[in-house]
Amino acid sequence: MNLFLRAAEEESHAKAQRREEGEKNGVRPHFHFSFFSLCSFASSRLCVSFLILSLATVYVVQADEAAKTEPELNDVDREHWAYVPPQHPELPTVQDAAWCRTPVDRFILAKLEAAKLHPAAPADPATLLRRVTFDLTGLPPTAEQVKQFEADDYEATVDRLLNSRAYAERQAQHWLDLARYADTDGFEHDLVRSQAWRYRDWVIDAFARDLPLDEFLRLQIAGDELKPDDADAAIATGFLICGPDMPDLNRADERRSMVLNEITSTVGSTLLGLQIGCAQCHDHKFEPLSQADFYRLRSCFETAAFLSPGRSEVGGDKKTEKKDAPRVFRELPGPWEPSHLLVRGDFQRLGAAVDPGFPRVANPMQVRLTSASSSSSESASGSGRRSALASWLTRPDHPLTARVLVNRVWQQHFVHGLVRTPSDFGYLGDAPSHPELLDWLATELVRDGWSLKQLHWQIVLSAAYRQSGINQSVDVTADLQNRLISRFPRRRLDGEELRDGMLAASGRLSDRRGGPGVIPPLPQELFGSLRTKDQWTVSPDEEDHRRRSIYLFVRRNLRLPLLDAFDRPDTMASCPQRNRSTTAPQSLVLLNSEFAQTTAHDLAESLRRDQTDVARQIERAYCTCVGRTSTKDEAAAARELIESDPAGLVDFCLALFNLNEFAYVD
Amino acid sequence: MNENDSVVLPNSRRDFLRQAGGGFGAIALSAMLQDGLSTSAATSISKLGAVAPHFAPRAKRVIYLFMHGGPSHVDLFDPKPDLIKYAGKPLPDEFGMVMTRRKVAANPLLPPGKPLRRRGESGLEVSDYLPEIASVADDLCVIRSCHGDSVNHPQAVYQMNTGSILTGRPSLGSWVSYGLGSENADMPAFVVMPDPGGGLKGGPPAYGSAYLPAVHQGTPMRPGANPILHLQPPEGVTSARQRRLLDFVANRNREHLAARNSDDELAARIRAYELAFRMQSTAPQLVDLSRETVETEQLYGLDVKETREFGTRCLLARRMVEHGVRFVQLISGDGRGWDAHENVAKNHGPLSRAVDKPIAALLRDLKRRGLWDDTLVIWGGEFGRMPMSEQGTGRDHNPWGYSVWLAGGSVRGGMAYGATDAVGLRAAENPVHIHDLHATILHILGYDHTKLTYPHNGRDERLTDVAGRVVREVLA
Repeated sequence: MNLFLRAAEEESHAKAQRREEGEKNGVRPHFHFSFFSLCSFASSRLCVSFLILSLATVYVVQADEAAKTEPELNDVDREHWAYVPPQHPELPTVQDAAWCRTPVDRFILAKLEAAKLHPAAPADPATLLRRVTFDLTGLPPTAEQVKQFEADDYEATVDRLLNSRAYAERQAQHWLDLARYADTDGFEHDLVRSQAWRYRDWVIDAFARDLPLDEFLRLQIAGDELKPDDADAAIATGFLICGPDMPDLNRADERRSMVLNEITSTVGSTLLGLQIGCAQCHDHKFEPLSQADFYRLRSCFETAAFLSPGRSEVGGDKKTEKKDAPRVFRELPGPWEPSHLLVRGDFQRLGAAVDPGFPRVANPMQVRLTSASSSSSESASGSGRRSALASWLTRPDHPLTARVLVNRVWQQHFVHGLVRTPSDFGYLGDAPSHPELLDWLATELVRDGWSLKQLHWQIVLSAAYRQSGINQSVDVTADLQNRLISRFPRRRLDGEELRDGMLAASGRLSDRRGGPGVIPPLPQELFGSLRTKDQWTVSPDEEDHRRRSIYLFVRRNLRLPLLDAFDRPDTMASCPQRNRSTTAPQSLVLLNSEFAQTTAHDLAESLRRDQTDVARQIERAYCTCVGRTSTKDEAAAARELIESDPAGLVDFCLALFNLNEFAYVD
Repeated sequence: MNENDSVVLPNSRRDFLRQAGGGFGAIALSAMLQDGLSTSAATSISKLGAVAPHFAPRAKRVIYLFMHGGPSHVDLFDPKPDLIKYAGKPLPDEFGMVMTRRKVAANPLLPPGKPLRRRGESGLEVSDYLPEIASVADDLCVIRSCHGDSVNHPQAVYQMNTGSILTGRPSLGSWVSYGLGSENADMPAFVVMPDPGGGLKGGPPAYGSAYLPAVHQGTPMRPGANPILHLQPPEGVTSARQRRLLDFVANRNREHLAARNSDDELAARIRAYELAFRMQSTAPQLVDLSRETVETEQLYGLDVKETREFGTRCLLARRMVEHGVRFVQLISGDGRGWDAHENVAKNHGPLSRAVDKPIAALLRDLKRRGLWDDTLVIWGGEFGRMPMSEQGTGRDHNPWGYSVWLAGGSVRGGMAYGATDAVGLRAAENPVHIHDLHATILHILGYDHTKLTYPHNGRDERLTDVAGRVVREVLA
């Protein structure tokens, strides 16, 4: 263990040291501002833009004072791979071109060949079907689909999956992890946000109709400004205000400042892959992110009020909204207070004034935040700052947005992104294993009109994705971490997939969609951890308890035991990658919980209904749960278990849910 | 750790990060399992946790008596003669502006409800509210200058338990579990025994593992036949029947594993099922008090209605640490707890009676069983209370200065460290911020608080953020 830590520590020290050395050699005058560097055209293009900016923005209430003492960017910063806009790369040449099914494979194979490795053999059809079905929909294939599937059906299968509602529901869960979505505030009272689900449903719908990802992002940043007459567009801004909040904090200004910081950090890490939240108290120690960068970005959100219907909102008039109004961002009428840097992040200590703007290092295009942006004049749809931010974020030449997105999608399919720190593309983050592939996917995404379905298609149709989990020709130590994708990575299902998969297998998964979050029954013992018992009012209709996990009510202070045990994120902050722990309480919940018992019982019932013959029951159960038929030995062992007790069939069903093969996708 | 597992060595910080997911749970678990069925607290700890201690630990386990709601330091452990002298008068101007939750700054000063007297050989002052704890005053190390940053319950509960007023940080117990691991293969390292009356203000995140793997979160346990959630199969499922099911699962899992290059994560999951099965018998044994003597039961006050509930949990806490649970947290006080806004005497009176005898018994029992030297006991709430009154006889929250005490062989007994000002409003002398308290606790357990870190979102996170001073003066 110590070895691991030491290695990790050494690496981070080494990185820090590299930066320090760069500084010493004059590459990085990061903390030493000099008058000459400001005047010298050669030293920094940014200085030029700074001069232009200060001349041009005559209508600015207050000039950006912070820029005067801000550490400058240097070439090391600007040349970091993530801050250079991606170029559409040529496809690499490979020896075994016949192996390649999509352009993705050329990049993968080129690296493998360079390392003198061969890709793994194709996965067998049953494995591939279960893999792609869980990956795209979060559900297992049905027994019928298992039986009918032939490898040459693959494209049609992918097409069917991408056009299913289940696809959108699965995709939404990935996004809601990032959006730290919950139906309550958190903290002591953990009050219900009765309309939060509208944002969740908006996300599902967006994925279902393959809303282009640039528009998907723009609406979540500034839907209210961009489409003032479209109520749905305003709902998208629910993204910004999904975070935890403490409405009863005794200082409203403190609360507002906390929420603004949280929004800024989330936008930075989720959309830009920048840990800009680290810069709220001081300039980032290792990344070229200044404290002014943080407060410039935060300034984009400072002209708005964020509504909690029926309760006090953060900023703006109190209790003006109806109880059933959705949670949205709303611009306050100008003129707006000038924005300031906060000394050591303290909301009571205003520092230098800042103008709204973009993190400099992510803005090699040198776009200025203008529009009505810096103006204090009133406008019907608001300050326009967020619209400007949204349009900047989704520029085709943005260095980060598309890369961050495609990397997250890659992670969905290969467990890890090409960059293994999906919300940190900065200097301390991981370097991409296949930089050209990342850029190819990012630029291709833009060319394809930001179509997420097209992106999935490119990836799951690749030969790389269709590999077996075991590469017989390559010693596992040759690609220990599988960075070269010399095999398909095994993946444990997350809690939602386990729960939904069990319900689907039992034949009792409800297909009801949308609407307020469903509250399923809770073990009696857990009521004690709630503040008041009325915080868990079980939904009256029993069928609702069997809906997909995406439709379950998300209480910040209490997670459903099964999801909790299987590492469901706590929704206190954006979660770019889930933990995957292995614990005894996981086994207990899958063996003894009422949910597990009931679901096993339901599966046994459906088997009995369909088949009277034990052998056929076994075969069907195997197909339903693990996507393949049983071997002779397995069938014999299953029969023995079934016949050992009058309730043996239920035990057998419960056993299947507890198999490693059920919990893992190969 | 590497005796029976072929753990894949990560070759970079990022792989380490990745392994923090499956890997860590697996590693911690395999470490727990490797030790076999252990009922001895004397097991070597270095090989069990994820991070070896940085120096020799002074204590190996912790019992944290968390007084939810915020007990009044000026009524219990911090004598303030001026509060009696100037009772009924407003706070003098020289104290400046006071941030309070309920705007009580202008209210008259309220004297303690019962006298605080010098006790034992040390002469350490303890209130008449707590006569039994007073009788072990020579064992207490009272830090009278604790301070935190929030006047609100949930934020203060989070800060006391996680170092941060925001949610989403691992709790003290989780960090200890992450560092030291478990001493008992059949039990979680970090156990929480909630108050049967209700939940914490702030809820389970106060003992959650946040970004640390779930194996390190506090596992709630209760007295009775079903102490851990989902521990037992439903009624009607015999042990033999469940064994058959588990054997089927284990056999299939072994075949599955053999066909997959003996993947560590899959292997760990096989063992997790065995551990779960063993927990089903171990955990109820742990909470089974039938083997305790009548004398012990009486010591903890199990024979008296007022003290039975908390006494039972204190006795369970002793049994847990005795059987290798690393960190036990007891919560006293239901959803409201020690939150004496209206009337300190009416609130603190019954609560003091409920915890006084059991806590004194716990300290005595730890001593006579040889557990004293390497068990650290912590007593305290999320903040103290104001010297000014609220609604006549109550007190508002006070995070600016309050008392927390430590006990056990690792700290100096009969000692008061630091001081609040003349009325107990603010920490004035040798102030101890919550970060300092946490740094000190980790130090006692053998950790440099700046080095017990976990990589998360691009930063090596730690319990004490960027602060923390070890209060060496309290160490024995």
